[in-house]
Amino acid sequence: MAKLSILVIEDDPLARRVMAEHLSGHDVRFAADAKAARSALDSSSPSICFVDLSLGDGDTNSGLDLIPLAAAKGIYTVVMSGHDSEKFVERAYVLGCSDFYSKGNVQADVGRILAKFLERRERPKDGRLFAERFITEDPATRASIRDTLKYASSDLPVLILGPSGTGKTSLARIIHDSSDRPGEFVAINCSAYAEDLLEAELFGYRKGAFTGAADSRKGKLLLADKGTLFLDEIGSMSLKMQTKLLKAIEERSFFPLGSDRAETSQFRVISATLEDLQSLIKAGRMRFDFFQRIHGLTIELKPLAQRNCDVLPLLAYFTRAGRKLSFTADAKERLLGYDWPGNIRELRKFVYLLVTGHEGRVTLKDVNHLLTNSRSGESGKGFVMAEQFRLAKELGLHEVTDRFVDTIIAMSLAENGGKRTQVLKDLRISTRLLYVSLERNGRYLRRRSSDERKSR
Amino acid sequence: MSGNRDEALSKLIHDVNSKCASLREAAAMLPTANSHDSQALLALMVQAADALAASLGKFKREHAV
Repeated sequence: MAKLSILVIEDDPLARRVMAEHLSGHDVRFAADAKAARSALDSSSPSICFVDLSLGDGDTNSGLDLIPLAAAKGIYTVVMSGHDSEKFVERAYVLGCSDFYSKGNVQADVGRILAKFLERRERPKDGRLFAERFITEDPATRASIRDTLKYASSDLPVLILGPSGTGKTSLARIIHDSSDRPGEFVAINCSAYAEDLLEAELFGYRKGAFTGAADSRKGKLLLADKGTLFLDEIGSMSLKMQTKLLKAIEERSFFPLGSDRAETSQFRVISATLEDLQSLIKAGRMRFDFFQRIHGLTIELKPLAQRNCDVLPLLAYFTRAGRKLSFTADAKERLLGYDWPGNIRELRKFVYLLVTGHEGRVTLKDVNHLLTNSRSGESGKGFVMAEQFRLAKELGLHEVTDRFVDTIIAMSLAENGGKRTQVLKDLRISTRLLYVSLERNGRYLRRRSSDERKSR
Repeated sequence: MSGNRDEALSKLIHDVNSKCASLREAAAMLPTANSHDSQALLALMVQAADALAASLGKFKREHAV
Protein backbone atom coordinates (compact mmCIF):
# COMPACT_ATOMS: atom_id res chain seq x y z
CA MET A 1 0.00 0.00 0.00
CA ALA A 2 1.23 3.53 -0.76
CA LYS A 3 2.66 5.45 2.19
CA LEU A 4 0.11 8.07 3.21
CA SER A 5 0.36 11.23 5.26
CA ILE A 6 -2.25 10.96 8.02
CA LEU A 7 -3.37 13.21 10.88
CA VAL A 8 -5.19 11.58 13.81
CA ILE A 9 -7.10 13.95 16.11
CA GLU A 10 -7.82 11.91 19.25
CA ASP A 11 -7.74 12.84 22.93
CA ASP A 12 -7.63 9.32 24.34
CA PRO A 13 -4.02 8.09 24.70
CA LEU A 14 -4.99 4.42 24.41
CA ALA A 15 -7.00 5.10 21.24
CA ARG A 16 -3.97 6.98 19.82
CA ARG A 17 -1.74 4.00 20.63
CA VAL A 18 -4.18 1.64 18.88
CA MET A 19 -4.37 3.91 15.83
CA ALA A 20 -0.57 4.12 15.71
CA GLU A 21 -0.46 0.33 15.53
CA HIS A 22 -3.04 0.09 12.75
CA LEU A 23 -1.48 2.92 10.73
CA SER A 24 2.12 1.74 11.05
CA GLY A 25 3.97 2.13 7.77
CA HIS A 26 2.32 5.48 7.06
CA ASP A 27 3.49 8.95 7.98
CA VAL A 28 1.22 9.56 11.00
CA ARG A 29 0.94 12.69 13.12
CA PHE A 30 -1.24 12.95 16.24
CA ALA A 31 -3.11 15.86 17.80
CA ALA A 32 -4.55 15.34 21.29
CA ASP A 33 -6.84 18.37 21.41
CA ALA A 34 -8.58 20.95 19.20
CA LYS A 35 -5.76 23.52 19.57
CA ALA A 36 -3.06 21.06 18.49
CA ALA A 37 -5.35 19.90 15.66
CA ARG A 38 -5.81 23.45 14.33
CA SER A 39 -2.08 24.01 14.45
CA ALA A 40 -1.41 20.72 12.60
CA LEU A 41 -4.01 21.57 9.94
CA ASP A 42 -2.50 25.03 9.52
CA SER A 43 1.00 23.74 9.04
CA SER A 44 0.41 20.60 6.98
CA SER A 45 -1.87 19.02 4.39
CA PRO A 46 -2.21 15.33 5.18
CA SER A 47 -3.98 13.03 2.74
CA ILE A 48 -6.35 11.73 5.43
CA CYS A 49 -7.52 13.21 8.73
CA PHE A 50 -9.20 11.02 11.36
CA VAL A 51 -11.23 13.18 13.75
CA ASP A 52 -12.63 12.00 17.06
CA LEU A 53 -15.89 13.84 17.73
CA SER A 54 -15.40 14.17 21.46
CA LEU A 55 -12.05 15.71 22.34
CA GLY A 56 -12.38 15.57 26.15
CA ASP A 57 -12.86 19.29 26.62
CA GLY A 58 -16.34 18.98 28.06
CA ASP A 59 -17.99 19.49 24.67
CA THR A 60 -19.09 16.08 23.36
CA ASN A 61 -18.89 17.26 19.75
CA SER A 62 -15.91 19.61 19.68
CA GLY A 63 -14.41 17.57 16.81
CA LEU A 64 -17.24 18.74 14.53
CA ASP A 65 -15.68 22.23 14.32
CA LEU A 66 -12.52 20.75 12.86
CA ILE A 67 -14.26 19.02 9.94
CA PRO A 68 -14.74 22.16 7.78
CA LEU A 69 -11.11 23.18 8.39
CA ALA A 70 -9.82 19.84 7.12
CA ALA A 71 -12.38 19.49 4.31
CA ALA A 72 -11.60 23.01 3.03
CA LYS A 73 -8.01 21.90 2.46
CA GLY A 74 -9.22 18.98 0.36
CA ILE A 75 -8.25 16.46 3.04
CA TYR A 76 -10.15 13.16 3.11
CA THR A 77 -11.77 13.67 6.51
CA VAL A 78 -12.98 10.70 8.50
CA VAL A 79 -15.01 11.10 11.67
CA MET A 80 -14.67 8.39 14.27
CA SER A 81 -16.96 8.37 17.20
CA GLY A 82 -18.45 6.27 19.93
CA HIS A 83 -21.77 7.72 18.74
CA ASP A 84 -23.55 6.45 15.70
CA SER A 85 -26.66 8.51 16.18
CA GLU A 86 -28.05 9.78 12.90
CA LYS A 87 -27.95 13.40 13.96
CA PHE A 88 -24.15 13.24 14.45
CA VAL A 89 -23.59 11.37 11.21
CA GLU A 90 -25.74 13.79 9.22
CA ARG A 91 -24.13 16.84 10.83
CA ALA A 92 -20.63 15.49 10.11
CA TYR A 93 -21.45 14.95 6.42
CA VAL A 94 -23.05 18.40 6.14
CA LEU A 95 -19.83 19.89 7.49
CA GLY A 96 -17.81 18.14 4.79
CA CYS A 97 -16.58 14.86 6.22
CA SER A 98 -15.82 12.18 3.63
CA ASP A 99 -16.44 9.12 5.79
CA PHE A 100 -17.73 8.16 9.22
CA TYR A 101 -17.35 5.17 11.46
CA SER A 102 -18.57 4.40 14.91
CA LYS A 103 -15.87 2.92 17.11
CA GLY A 104 -16.14 -0.80 17.52
CA ASN A 105 -13.60 -2.59 15.35
CA VAL A 106 -10.80 -0.14 14.70
CA GLN A 107 -8.66 -2.54 12.66
CA ALA A 108 -11.45 -3.36 10.19
CA ASP A 109 -12.69 0.23 10.03
CA VAL A 110 -9.25 1.75 9.45
CA GLY A 111 -8.42 -0.89 6.83
CA ARG A 112 -11.68 -0.27 5.00
CA ILE A 113 -11.22 3.49 5.05
CA LEU A 114 -7.64 3.38 3.75
CA ALA A 115 -8.70 1.02 0.94
CA LYS A 116 -11.65 3.26 0.07
CA PHE A 117 -9.47 6.37 0.10
CA LEU A 118 -6.86 4.78 -2.20
CA GLU A 119 -9.54 3.52 -4.57
CA ARG A 120 -11.07 6.99 -4.78
CA ARG A 121 -7.68 8.58 -5.29
CA GLU A 122 -6.76 6.19 -8.10
CA ARG A 123 -10.19 6.06 -9.76
CA PRO A 124 -10.21 9.43 -11.56
CA LYS A 125 -6.71 8.81 -12.96
CA ASP A 126 -7.61 5.28 -14.00
CA GLY A 127 -10.90 6.49 -15.42
CA ARG A 128 -9.24 8.99 -17.73
CA LEU A 129 -6.41 6.62 -18.58
CA PHE A 130 -8.59 3.69 -19.55
CA ALA A 131 -11.44 5.73 -21.04
CA GLU A 132 -9.38 8.16 -23.09
CA ARG A 133 -5.79 7.14 -23.58
CA PHE A 134 -5.69 3.35 -23.52
CA ILE A 135 -9.19 2.03 -23.97
CA THR A 136 -9.50 -1.23 -22.12
CA GLU A 137 -11.90 -2.83 -19.69
CA ASP A 138 -9.86 -5.99 -19.44
CA PRO A 139 -8.89 -6.35 -15.75
CA ALA A 140 -5.58 -8.11 -16.50
CA THR A 141 -4.52 -5.45 -19.05
CA ARG A 142 -5.51 -2.67 -16.67
CA ALA A 143 -3.54 -4.30 -13.85
CA SER A 144 -0.44 -4.72 -16.07
CA ILE A 145 -0.58 -1.10 -17.16
CA ARG A 146 -1.11 0.13 -13.60
CA ASP A 147 1.88 -1.95 -12.46
CA THR A 148 4.03 -0.58 -15.28
CA LEU A 149 3.06 3.01 -14.50
CA LYS A 150 4.33 2.57 -10.95
CA TYR A 151 7.81 2.57 -12.53
CA ALA A 152 7.08 5.42 -14.93
CA SER A 153 9.26 7.90 -13.09
CA SER A 154 12.21 5.50 -12.74
CA ASP A 155 15.01 5.10 -15.28
CA LEU A 156 14.18 1.42 -15.70
CA PRO A 157 14.06 0.44 -19.38
CA VAL A 158 10.68 -0.94 -20.46
CA LEU A 159 10.06 -3.61 -23.07
CA ILE A 160 6.54 -3.75 -24.51
CA LEU A 161 5.62 -7.01 -26.21
CA GLY A 162 2.54 -7.67 -28.28
CA PRO A 163 1.21 -8.24 -31.76
CA SER A 164 0.92 -5.41 -34.23
CA GLY A 165 -1.91 -2.96 -33.54
CA THR A 166 -2.30 -3.67 -29.83
CA GLY A 167 -1.34 -0.17 -28.67
CA LYS A 168 2.40 -0.50 -27.92
CA THR A 169 3.21 3.03 -29.08
CA SER A 170 0.26 4.50 -27.16
CA LEU A 171 1.42 2.75 -24.02
CA ALA A 172 5.01 3.97 -24.49
CA ARG A 173 3.74 7.54 -24.75
CA ILE A 174 1.57 7.11 -21.65
CA ILE A 175 4.61 5.84 -19.70
CA HIS A 176 6.59 8.86 -20.85
CA ASP A 177 3.77 11.29 -19.98
CA SER A 178 3.52 9.74 -16.51
CA SER A 179 7.27 9.96 -15.95
CA ASP A 180 7.53 13.73 -15.36
CA ARG A 181 10.62 13.70 -17.53
CA PRO A 182 11.20 17.21 -18.85
CA GLY A 183 12.47 16.00 -22.24
CA GLU A 184 10.63 14.84 -25.33
CA PHE A 185 9.09 11.51 -26.29
CA VAL A 186 11.07 10.55 -29.39
CA ALA A 187 9.91 7.52 -31.35
CA ILE A 188 11.61 5.63 -34.13
CA ASN A 189 10.46 2.55 -36.00
CA CYS A 190 13.65 0.54 -36.42
CA SER A 191 12.20 -1.57 -39.23
CA ALA A 192 11.44 1.45 -41.40
CA TYR A 193 15.09 2.25 -42.06
CA ALA A 194 17.94 0.59 -43.82
CA GLU A 195 20.91 0.09 -41.47
CA ASP A 196 22.92 3.12 -42.62
CA LEU A 197 19.92 5.42 -42.45
CA LEU A 198 18.89 4.07 -39.03
CA GLU A 199 22.35 4.90 -37.74
CA ALA A 200 22.07 8.43 -39.13
CA GLU A 201 18.59 8.81 -37.64
CA LEU A 202 19.65 7.59 -34.20
CA PHE A 203 23.05 9.22 -33.83
CA GLY A 204 22.63 12.22 -36.12
CA TYR A 205 25.28 13.43 -38.56
CA ARG A 206 27.52 16.34 -39.42
CA LYS A 207 27.26 18.16 -42.72
CA GLY A 208 29.11 16.21 -45.38
CA ALA A 209 29.26 12.99 -43.34
CA PHE A 210 27.96 11.11 -46.37
CA THR A 211 26.63 11.85 -49.85
CA GLY A 212 23.41 13.79 -49.41
CA ALA A 213 24.22 15.07 -45.91
CA ALA A 214 23.84 18.69 -46.98
CA ASP A 215 23.26 19.89 -43.40
CA SER A 216 24.11 18.67 -39.93
CA ARG A 217 21.24 16.98 -38.18
CA LYS A 218 20.55 15.97 -34.57
CA GLY A 219 19.86 12.29 -34.03
CA LYS A 220 16.99 10.78 -32.05
CA LEU A 221 19.33 9.99 -29.14
CA LEU A 222 20.11 13.66 -28.67
CA LEU A 223 16.51 14.76 -29.25
CA ALA A 224 15.46 12.39 -26.45
CA ASP A 225 17.80 14.02 -23.91
CA LYS A 226 16.07 14.01 -20.47
CA GLY A 227 13.14 12.35 -22.19
CA THR A 228 12.25 8.97 -23.63
CA LEU A 229 13.61 7.16 -26.68
CA PHE A 230 11.01 4.75 -28.00
CA LEU A 231 12.51 2.04 -30.21
CA ASP A 232 9.65 0.36 -32.04
CA GLU A 233 10.21 -3.02 -33.73
CA ILE A 234 13.53 -3.41 -31.95
CA GLY A 235 13.73 -7.03 -33.15
CA SER A 236 14.49 -5.85 -36.68
CA MET A 237 17.68 -4.04 -35.63
CA SER A 238 20.92 -5.48 -37.01
CA LEU A 239 23.60 -6.88 -34.69
CA LYS A 240 25.95 -4.08 -35.75
CA MET A 241 23.41 -1.42 -34.78
CA GLN A 242 22.66 -3.22 -31.52
CA THR A 243 26.35 -3.05 -30.64
CA LYS A 244 26.52 0.68 -31.36
CA LEU A 245 23.30 1.45 -29.54
CA LEU A 246 24.25 -0.69 -26.55
CA LYS A 247 27.42 1.37 -26.12
CA ALA A 248 25.45 4.62 -26.38
CA ILE A 249 22.86 3.42 -23.85
CA GLU A 250 25.51 2.27 -21.37
CA GLU A 251 27.73 5.32 -21.69
CA ARG A 252 24.96 7.86 -22.39
CA SER A 253 27.41 9.22 -24.89
CA PHE A 254 27.89 8.76 -28.64
CA PHE A 255 29.49 10.23 -31.76
CA PRO A 256 27.23 11.59 -34.53
CA LEU A 257 28.29 10.40 -37.99
CA GLY A 258 31.20 12.44 -39.29
CA SER A 259 31.83 14.05 -35.91
CA ASP A 260 34.84 13.60 -33.64
CA ARG A 261 33.07 15.26 -30.73
CA ALA A 262 31.01 13.06 -28.41
CA GLU A 263 27.46 14.09 -27.53
CA THR A 264 25.83 13.15 -24.23
CA SER A 265 22.17 12.44 -23.67
CA GLN A 266 20.20 11.26 -20.62
CA PHE A 267 17.40 9.30 -22.22
CA ARG A 268 15.21 6.50 -20.94
CA VAL A 269 14.71 3.58 -23.33
CA ILE A 270 11.33 2.02 -24.04
CA SER A 271 11.35 -0.70 -26.68
CA ALA A 272 8.59 -2.61 -28.40
CA THR A 273 8.44 -5.67 -30.58
CA LEU A 274 6.03 -8.28 -31.84
CA GLU A 275 8.84 -10.81 -32.11
CA ASP A 276 9.94 -13.39 -29.56
CA LEU A 277 13.26 -11.92 -28.44
CA GLN A 278 14.41 -15.15 -26.78
CA SER A 279 14.10 -16.87 -30.16
CA LEU A 280 16.07 -14.05 -31.78
CA ILE A 281 18.82 -14.50 -29.19
CA LYS A 282 18.89 -18.27 -29.85
CA ALA A 283 19.00 -17.62 -33.58
CA GLY A 284 21.93 -15.22 -33.09
CA ARG A 285 19.91 -12.23 -34.30
CA MET A 286 19.91 -10.41 -30.98
CA ARG A 287 22.81 -9.80 -28.62
CA PHE A 288 22.11 -11.12 -25.14
CA ASP A 289 23.75 -8.08 -23.50
CA PHE A 290 21.60 -5.76 -25.63
CA PHE A 291 18.48 -7.69 -24.61
CA GLN A 292 19.55 -7.42 -20.95
CA ARG A 293 19.94 -3.67 -21.35
CA ILE A 294 16.47 -3.06 -22.82
CA HIS A 295 14.23 -5.39 -20.81
CA GLY A 296 14.28 -3.96 -17.27
CA LEU A 297 10.53 -4.18 -17.03
CA THR A 298 8.45 -6.18 -19.49
CA ILE A 299 4.75 -5.75 -20.26
CA GLU A 300 2.88 -7.91 -22.73
CA LEU A 301 -0.22 -6.55 -24.45
CA LYS A 302 -2.78 -9.17 -25.35
CA PRO A 303 -4.28 -9.30 -28.85
CA LEU A 304 -7.83 -7.96 -29.12
CA ALA A 305 -9.17 -11.49 -29.60
CA GLN A 306 -8.10 -12.24 -26.02
CA ARG A 307 -9.78 -9.13 -24.61
CA ASN A 308 -12.98 -8.94 -26.59
CA CYS A 309 -14.58 -6.98 -23.73
CA ASP A 310 -12.73 -4.03 -25.29
CA VAL A 311 -14.34 -4.31 -28.74
CA LEU A 312 -17.52 -2.37 -27.97
CA PRO A 313 -15.82 0.31 -25.82
CA LEU A 314 -13.28 0.83 -28.63
CA LEU A 315 -16.10 1.11 -31.18
CA ALA A 316 -17.76 3.72 -28.97
CA TYR A 317 -14.46 5.57 -28.57
CA PHE A 318 -13.69 5.67 -32.30
CA THR A 319 -17.18 6.99 -33.10
CA ARG A 320 -17.34 9.42 -30.15
CA ALA A 321 -16.99 12.56 -32.23
CA GLY A 322 -18.98 11.43 -35.23
CA ARG A 323 -22.12 9.62 -36.13
CA LYS A 324 -23.68 7.47 -33.44
CA LEU A 325 -24.20 3.91 -34.57
CA SER A 326 -26.28 1.14 -33.10
CA PHE A 327 -25.79 -2.53 -33.75
CA THR A 328 -28.30 -5.32 -33.95
CA ALA A 329 -27.75 -8.07 -31.37
CA ASP A 330 -26.39 -10.55 -33.95
CA ALA A 331 -24.08 -7.86 -35.38
CA LYS A 332 -22.66 -7.27 -31.89
CA GLU A 333 -22.24 -10.99 -31.40
CA ARG A 334 -20.33 -11.23 -34.69
CA LEU A 335 -18.03 -8.36 -33.68
CA LEU A 336 -17.33 -9.93 -30.31
CA GLY A 337 -16.67 -13.33 -31.87
CA TYR A 338 -14.39 -12.01 -34.63
CA ASP A 339 -10.66 -12.54 -34.01
CA TRP A 340 -9.45 -9.09 -35.20
CA PRO A 341 -6.05 -10.27 -36.47
CA GLY A 342 -5.07 -6.65 -37.12
CA ASN A 343 -6.13 -5.79 -33.56
CA ILE A 344 -7.06 -2.18 -32.70
CA ARG A 345 -5.69 -0.88 -36.01
CA GLU A 346 -8.07 -3.19 -37.88
CA LEU A 347 -10.96 -2.18 -35.64
CA ARG A 348 -10.25 1.50 -36.31
CA LYS A 349 -10.25 0.82 -40.04
CA PHE A 350 -13.50 -1.11 -39.69
CA VAL A 351 -15.08 1.87 -37.89
CA TYR A 352 -13.88 4.19 -40.65
CA LEU A 353 -15.52 2.01 -43.29
CA LEU A 354 -18.64 1.81 -41.16
CA VAL A 355 -19.15 5.51 -40.47
CA THR A 356 -18.44 6.57 -44.02
CA GLY A 357 -20.74 4.05 -45.66
CA HIS A 358 -23.58 3.37 -43.24
CA GLU A 359 -26.29 5.17 -41.41
CA GLY A 360 -28.12 4.32 -38.23
CA ARG A 361 -28.58 0.69 -37.36
CA VAL A 362 -25.81 -1.73 -38.35
CA THR A 363 -26.90 -5.26 -39.16
CA LEU A 364 -25.05 -8.57 -39.24
CA LYS A 365 -25.01 -8.36 -43.05
CA ASP A 366 -23.29 -4.93 -42.91
CA VAL A 367 -20.71 -6.22 -40.46
CA ASN A 368 -19.95 -9.33 -42.49
CA HIS A 369 -19.60 -7.28 -45.66
CA LEU A 370 -17.21 -4.78 -44.04
CA LEU A 371 -15.11 -7.42 -42.31
CA THR A 372 -14.65 -9.16 -45.66
CA ASN A 373 -13.61 -5.87 -47.30
CA SER A 374 -11.32 -5.08 -44.42
CA ARG A 375 -9.59 -8.45 -44.66
CA SER A 376 -9.22 -8.29 -48.44
CA GLY A 377 -7.55 -4.90 -48.00
CA GLU A 378 -5.17 -6.45 -45.49
CA SER A 379 -4.27 -9.19 -47.93
CA GLY A 380 -3.38 -6.68 -50.66
CA LYS A 381 -6.43 -6.67 -52.90
CA GLY A 382 -7.51 -3.10 -53.50
CA PHE A 383 -3.97 -1.88 -52.83
CA VAL A 384 -2.87 -3.19 -56.22
CA MET A 385 -4.76 -1.61 -59.13
CA ALA A 386 -5.85 -3.71 -62.10
CA GLU A 387 -3.56 -1.64 -64.36
CA GLN A 388 -0.54 -2.35 -62.15
CA PHE A 389 -1.35 -6.02 -62.14
CA ARG A 390 -1.62 -6.03 -65.98
CA LEU A 391 1.69 -4.15 -66.36
CA ALA A 392 3.45 -6.48 -63.91
CA LYS A 393 2.48 -9.41 -66.12
CA GLU A 394 3.50 -7.56 -69.27
CA LEU A 395 6.79 -5.95 -68.18
CA GLY A 396 7.74 -8.06 -65.14
CA LEU A 397 7.29 -7.26 -61.45
CA HIS A 398 10.72 -5.59 -61.02
CA GLU A 399 10.06 -3.06 -63.77
CA VAL A 400 6.63 -2.16 -62.38
CA THR A 401 7.96 -1.95 -58.81
CA ASP A 402 10.72 0.42 -59.96
CA ARG A 403 8.16 2.60 -61.76
CA PHE A 404 6.04 2.66 -58.63
CA VAL A 405 9.03 3.67 -56.48
CA ASP A 406 10.17 6.30 -59.00
CA THR A 407 6.68 7.82 -59.22
CA ILE A 408 6.34 8.06 -55.43
CA ILE A 409 9.80 9.66 -55.12
CA ALA A 410 9.05 12.11 -57.93
CA MET A 411 5.77 13.06 -56.25
CA SER A 412 7.55 13.58 -52.94
CA LEU A 413 10.25 15.71 -54.61
CA ALA A 414 7.58 17.87 -56.22
CA GLU A 415 5.73 18.20 -52.91
CA ASN A 416 8.94 19.25 -51.14
CA GLY A 417 10.14 21.66 -53.80
CA GLY A 418 13.02 19.39 -54.80
CA LYS A 419 14.44 19.23 -51.24
CA ARG A 420 16.00 15.77 -51.16
CA THR A 421 16.66 15.58 -47.39
CA GLN A 422 12.94 16.07 -46.80
CA VAL A 423 12.17 13.28 -49.28
CA LEU A 424 14.55 10.97 -47.37
CA LYS A 425 12.79 11.85 -44.15
CA ASP A 426 9.22 11.66 -45.46
CA LEU A 427 9.62 8.38 -47.28
CA ARG A 428 12.15 6.88 -44.85
CA ILE A 429 14.34 5.62 -47.65
CA SER A 430 18.09 5.29 -47.97
CA THR A 431 20.09 7.92 -49.81
CA ARG A 432 21.20 5.14 -52.16
CA LEU A 433 17.61 4.37 -53.19
CA LEU A 434 16.90 8.06 -53.73
CA TYR A 435 19.86 8.48 -56.08
CA VAL A 436 19.20 5.23 -57.95
CA SER A 437 15.63 6.38 -58.49
CA LEU A 438 16.72 9.87 -59.61
CA GLU A 439 19.13 8.27 -62.07
CA ARG A 440 16.33 6.08 -63.44
CA ASN A 441 14.02 9.10 -63.73
CA GLY A 442 16.81 11.00 -65.53
CA ARG A 443 17.31 8.16 -67.99
CA TYR A 444 13.59 8.02 -68.59
CA LEU A 445 13.34 11.77 -69.20
CA ARG A 446 16.35 11.72 -71.55
CA ARG A 447 14.86 8.79 -73.45
CA ARG A 448 11.47 10.51 -73.71
CA SER A 449 12.96 13.74 -75.00
CA SER A 450 15.05 11.81 -77.57
CA ASP A 451 11.94 9.92 -78.69
CA GLU A 452 10.05 13.21 -79.01
CA ARG A 453 12.85 14.73 -81.16
CA LYS A 454 12.86 11.70 -83.45
CA SER A 455 9.12 11.84 -83.91
CA ARG A 456 9.18 15.52 -84.99
CA MET B 1 -33.39 17.09 34.87
CA SER B 2 -34.49 14.56 32.25
CA GLY B 3 -32.55 16.51 29.58
CA ASN B 4 -29.43 16.41 31.74
CA ARG B 5 -29.82 12.68 32.23
CA ASP B 6 -30.22 12.06 28.50
CA GLU B 7 -27.12 14.10 27.80
CA ALA B 8 -25.15 12.30 30.51
CA LEU B 9 -26.33 8.95 29.22
CA SER B 10 -25.30 9.86 25.69
CA LYS B 11 -21.83 10.80 26.96
CA LEU B 12 -21.65 7.57 28.99
CA ILE B 13 -22.55 5.47 25.93
CA HIS B 14 -19.91 7.31 23.94
CA ASP B 15 -17.28 6.64 26.62
CA VAL B 16 -18.20 2.98 26.97
CA ASN B 17 -18.14 2.39 23.21
CA SER B 18 -14.89 4.29 22.66
CA LYS B 19 -12.99 2.93 25.65
CA CYS B 20 -14.15 -0.66 25.16
CA ALA B 21 -13.19 -0.55 21.48
CA SER B 22 -9.72 0.73 22.39
CA LEU B 23 -9.33 -1.80 25.22
CA ARG B 24 -10.31 -4.69 22.94
CA GLU B 25 -7.90 -3.58 20.22
CA ALA B 26 -5.11 -2.99 22.74
CA ALA B 27 -5.64 -6.43 24.29
CA ALA B 28 -5.32 -7.98 20.85
CA MET B 29 -1.95 -6.24 20.46
CA LEU B 30 -0.51 -7.68 23.69
CA PRO B 31 0.51 -11.15 22.38
CA THR B 32 2.86 -9.66 19.79
CA ALA B 33 4.14 -6.70 21.86
CA ASN B 34 7.62 -6.86 23.40
CA SER B 35 8.07 -6.48 27.15
CA HIS B 36 8.55 -2.71 27.06
CA ASP B 37 5.62 -2.07 24.73
CA SER B 38 3.51 -4.47 26.75
CA GLN B 39 4.15 -2.51 29.95
CA ALA B 40 3.34 0.81 28.24
CA LEU B 41 0.22 -0.65 26.66
CA LEU B 42 -1.01 -2.12 29.94
CA ALA B 43 -0.47 1.22 31.70
CA LEU B 44 -2.62 2.93 29.06
CA MET B 45 -5.25 0.20 29.34
CA VAL B 46 -5.42 0.60 33.11
CA GLN B 47 -5.74 4.36 32.66
CA ALA B 48 -8.58 3.86 30.15
CA ALA B 49 -10.33 1.32 32.39
CA ASP B 50 -10.02 3.69 35.38
CA ALA B 51 -11.46 6.55 33.34
CA LEU B 52 -14.33 4.32 32.24
CA ALA B 53 -14.95 3.20 35.83
CA ALA B 54 -14.96 6.86 36.90
CA SER B 55 -17.52 7.73 34.19
CA LEU B 56 -19.75 4.84 35.24
CA GLY B 57 -19.41 5.78 38.95
CA LYS B 58 -20.25 9.40 38.20
CA PHE B 59 -23.34 8.46 36.21
CA LYS B 60 -24.42 6.03 38.94
CA ARG B 61 -24.05 8.71 41.58
CA GLU B 62 -25.74 11.47 39.69
CA HIS B 63 -28.34 9.83 37.49
CA ALA B 64 -29.06 6.21 38.37
CA VAL B 65 -32.61 5.79 39.58
